[in-house]
Amino acid sequence: MLTAPDENEAVEMLHALRCTDGLPVVVPTRERVDRLVLASGQDGDMVLGTMGPAGGIATVEKVAVAAVMAGCLPDHMPVVMAAVQAVIDPAFDLTEMQSTTHCTAPLIIVNGPARQACGGITGGFGALGPGHRANASIGRALRLAMLNIGGARPGESDMALLGHPGKFTYCLAEDEESSPFPPLHTSLGFQAEDSVVTVIGAEAPHSVLYSPTGDASEDARCLAEMLAIGISNLATNNAQLRNGAAVVVLNPEHAQVFQKANLGRESVQKILYGYCFHPPELLRSKAGGFAPRGEDRGPVHAFRSHEDILVLVAGGSGLYSMVMPTWCAGPHVNRFVTRPVLLNAFCEIA
Amino acid sequence: MAATLGIPAVSLVTEKFWPQGDFVANSLGMPDLPRVQLPHPVAGTGTDNMRRVAETMAERIIAALKGGT
Repeated sequence: MLTAPDENEAVEMLHALRCTDGLPVVVPTRERVDRLVLASGQDGDMVLGTMGPAGGIATVEKVAVAAVMAGCLPDHMPVVMAAVQAVIDPAFDLTEMQSTTHCTAPLIIVNGPARQACGGITGGFGALGPGHRANASIGRALRLAMLNIGGARPGESDMALLGHPGKFTYCLAEDEESSPFPPLHTSLGFQAEDSVVTVIGAEAPHSVLYSPTGDASEDARCLAEMLAIGISNLATNNAQLRNGAAVVVLNPEHAQVFQKANLGRESVQKILYGYCFHPPELLRSKAGGFAPRGEDRGPVHAFRSHEDILVLVAGGSGLYSMVMPTWCAGPHVNRFVTRPVLLNAFCEIA
Repeated sequence: MAATLGIPAVSLVTEKFWPQGDFVANSLGMPDLPRVQLPHPVAGTGTDNMRRVAETMAERIIAALKGGT
C-alpha cells in the first residue's frame, strides 16, 4: 500500500511510478477500489487470467484499481470486466499485440442492454471522441489494466513505433436503434437481449467519404468500393500480410445506402470481401519484403472470409463512415473476441 | 515458448529491442534466457544482408544453444 500526504501528491507519485497513461488519474484508495470490487459482484482476489507481456495476474481487485484510476463509476464495471476477460482470452494474443511495433489498440464494441445499464455508452455523434464519460472511462480502464497488470510500457515492452490516440481509450456502443441491420452481437451468435463486448485490436479510425447520388444500386456499389479501399489499400497490413480482420463503422446514412439496395450485414460483408483483393503482380511490385512469393496469378485477397470484416453502425448521420484496418499478425492473426457482459451478477450500490 | 518447455532455445534480438528482450526474459522468470544480439535493423534490409547476418551470427547462435555465451 502506497501512502501520500494528499491527493495531489498521490497522483504525482503514481506518475513517477509510471502507473498512469500520462494523464491525471483518480487515486485508487482502499475505499474506492472496494466499491468497484463490490460492483463487480466477484471476490477481489478472484483471478481472471494473466496479462502479457509482463504476465501479471489480473485479479478482480487489480482490475478495479485500473477502473478507479480511469474514473469509472460502479455502473461501468460489468463492461470493464468483460473487456478485460476478452483480451485475456488466448485467441486475442494480448502479449504479442502489446509488444508489436504496429499501431494497434483494443477497440471495445458494446451491444445490448449494457449500453444503457452501464452508464450510458454512446454510439452516436462523436462516440470515439471526447465528452462521453462511460466510453472514455471504460476504454481507459482497459488501457490502465494493460499498462499496470500487463506491463506494456512504451519503448520498453510496448514497442509501437508511434502508437495512436485510441491507446488512451477506444470504446463505443453500436447504435442498434439507428441500424437497419440486426445488432452486431446477434450476427455473432448471441441473443438480442444479451449484452456483449466485441474486442479487436485495431488501428486508429480512418475516414471514408461517400456522398450518395440517389441511385440505390450504384450508391451501394460505390460505397462498398470506398470502404474496401479503406480497409485493404496497398499500404495496409491487411493487404500486405493478409488473413487478418478489419472493422467497418457505418454511419446511419451510409447504412441506409445498403438498406435501400436490399443488402443486409452479411451481404455487405461478402461484397466487401469481394472488393478486398489485389493482383499479385501489383503486390510484388509494391509490397517489398511482404510481397507474395511464387508465380500465382490469381487475386490475392486481404481476408480469409467475409466474416473477418466486422460491420456495425455508429456515429452521427452524414457522409463519413470510419474503418479500422488491423495488425493482422500474432498466432491467431488478429481475431476479434466476444464476451458476455454479466449484468445480473453485480451488487446494487446504495 | 520453447524455452519454457525445456527445449534448447535461443532468442535473436536486435540491438534496439534488447531492453524488450530483458523485459520478456524477466517476465518469464528466465533472466538468463540465451540471447544473441543482432545489428539493427535486420527486417527490411534484403535477402543478401540477412544472409550475411546469419553467416556472421551462426557460430554464436550454436554456442548459445550449447550453453555458452
